[in-house]
Amino acid sequence: MSSLNTQSQPGLLPIVKSMIARDMVLSARIGGSGFLAAVFFIIVVSLVPLGVGPQPEVLSVIASGMIWVGVLLASLLSLDRLFQADFEDGSMELFFLLPLPLPVLVLAKVVAFWLTTALPLIAVAPILGLLLNLPGPSFGALILALVIGTPGLSLIGSIAAALTMGLRRGGLLLSLLSLPLCVPILIFGVGSIAEGSMWNSSMALLLATTLIAIVVAPIAAAGALKLNMT
Amino acid sequence: MKRKNRRLAFIISSVGLLSIASLLVLSALRDSIVFFYTPSDLLSREIEPDKPIRVGGLVVTGSVVHTEEGRVEFKITDTENAVQIHFNGLLPDLFREGQGVVAQGTMLDTGDFEASQVLAKHDETYMPPEVAEALKEKGYWQQQENK
Amino acid sequence: MLIHANPKRFMDLSGRLLPYFSGVAGFLLVLGLYLALFVAPKDYQQSETVRIMFVHVPAALMTTFVYAFMAVASIVGLAWKHPVADMAAKAAAPIGACFAVLMLATGALWGQPMWGTWWVWDARLTSALVQLFLYIGYIALWEAIDEPTRAARAAAILAIVGVINIPIIKFSVEWWNTLHQPASLAKLDGPSIDPSFLWPLLIMMAGYVMFFATLVLLRTRTEILNRRMRSLHMAQVRVGEQVKSYG
Repeated sequence: MSSLNTQSQPGLLPIVKSMIARDMVLSARIGGSGFLAAVFFIIVVSLVPLGVGPQPEVLSVIASGMIWVGVLLASLLSLDRLFQADFEDGSMELFFLLPLPLPVLVLAKVVAFWLTTALPLIAVAPILGLLLNLPGPSFGALILALVIGTPGLSLIGSIAAALTMGLRRGGLLLSLLSLPLCVPILIFGVGSIAEGSMWNSSMALLLATTLIAIVVAPIAAAGALKLNMT
Repeated sequence: MKRKNRRLAFIISSVGLLSIASLLVLSALRDSIVFFYTPSDLLSREIEPDKPIRVGGLVVTGSVVHTEEGRVEFKITDTENAVQIHFNGLLPDLFREGQGVVAQGTMLDTGDFEASQVLAKHDETYMPPEVAEALKEKGYWQQQENK
Repeated sequence: MLIHANPKRFMDLSGRLLPYFSGVAGFLLVLGLYLALFVAPKDYQQSETVRIMFVHVPAALMTTFVYAFMAVASIVGLAWKHPVADMAAKAAAPIGACFAVLMLATGALWGQPMWGTWWVWDARLTSALVQLFLYIGYIALWEAIDEPTRAARAAAILAIVGVINIPIIKFSVEWWNTLHQPASLAKLDGPSIDPSFLWPLLIMMAGYVMFFATLVLLRTRTEILNRRMRSLHMAQVRVGEQVKSYG
């Protein structure tokens, strides 16, 4: 095994790059889960004023929370396909043959997912902030918090996506498993917007959560993938 | 060899990320996710009126005034600063002078606090009333500092 | 620990232990409840309401203890492919979820008269609620995967990741200013609780632990028997098919 690897081992980076490129091309050709997720996000958040009433002062209080809940739901619904699509068409088996450690494979998939799905959500979030009467100074913090927090959401979701890969009705279970683990991101994310400054202690905790997820999630997800492929 | 280096790189970057994370957590703790502010916090921070917040502290002995129509006025303190609270509603059983409370409401322009709900905070000490009496008589009683 | 890897040995040993465990659990719970409800004095501040503590605090302790037990069993199951450990983790989860519900219910009943509210979203209460969700997710994952060894490993990964919530629950009252009071027992300068409350509480805690031990043994045994029945049934079906194809 090791002798085989040392002969002509391509660096990790080119493989990771082509993995990410592949996923992005796929998502663009298939019509983009990112587009659908963004539309879902807009619709869910627009339901809020219909549900709680259109008073601007009420909306501005709950705006950041509703945007975060919307981002959470939209990401979780899309995460269903993170490994499932590759599992169904057999690509996953080929990935296992790559000279690529599984945790790195997970990271690459998550990066591609974040670029295709989370980035569109972040892009429409300010518009929803306007709709919900989010206070003007909070917009910067909202974007920063989403940029810091959504990778954490995707990573935590990747554990649940790997655990539920190949299961019937995996989508609902995926949400059930990831929601409790996503609670810190939700709390710190909303808290960092409420502070009224760009960098504050909630933002630091949000970043810490994402950093921990970067270390823990790929390993856990890789373990789950391995077990679901045997 | 390359495989070994790669593993080393993984471990180093993991440890690096985790130590940055713990530094961030350490720097942020105690400052965020406050369930309530103390009266000193209210002075040091600019808190806009009409923003719903919680203030916590000990009820100042002798400051509780029951006015008419069920209104209560009292001061709470963190032993350094105090804030005047106005409240109209039902007080919890544990509300008494010297007791820790948390009031939910908004700041008024006057610097007073209009509470919509008052919650009692009890400390982690449990003892029978006789023991508490005995402690008081012997002068061992020390009022719990607000946590 | 590894000696008991064999389910047969586990069945023998647990069968012998079970009567003692259940007897001790029953004795401690009855004694603890009697002391808590009739013997323990009133509290200097909370008066009679303090008696809820004797049910609430041990339930809260067990909520975290059972999850820690599941995590350790999961690690043993993953690392040494230990079937009894897998089954013990599975057996413990619904018990832990029940303790979590008991903790939340008694906490609400205590909070209403003392704090003046059933529920607040402070760090302690929120992290405790998250713990209940983690239990439910763990149980749901077991239910969703048909093949037991695969389900065991998937659930083990989830249990290990979820352990991160345990220190958050424990230290939430110290890191953040919460409405919930800090720990009375596990303090550096000794418990801040009068002996007249401490003893009933410790007896109740021991009773809860023995009650859990009894239930988890019983449920693990049931799980082993279920799997045996399953494999017997499979064997029966195979024999039936052979008979059919010959006949």
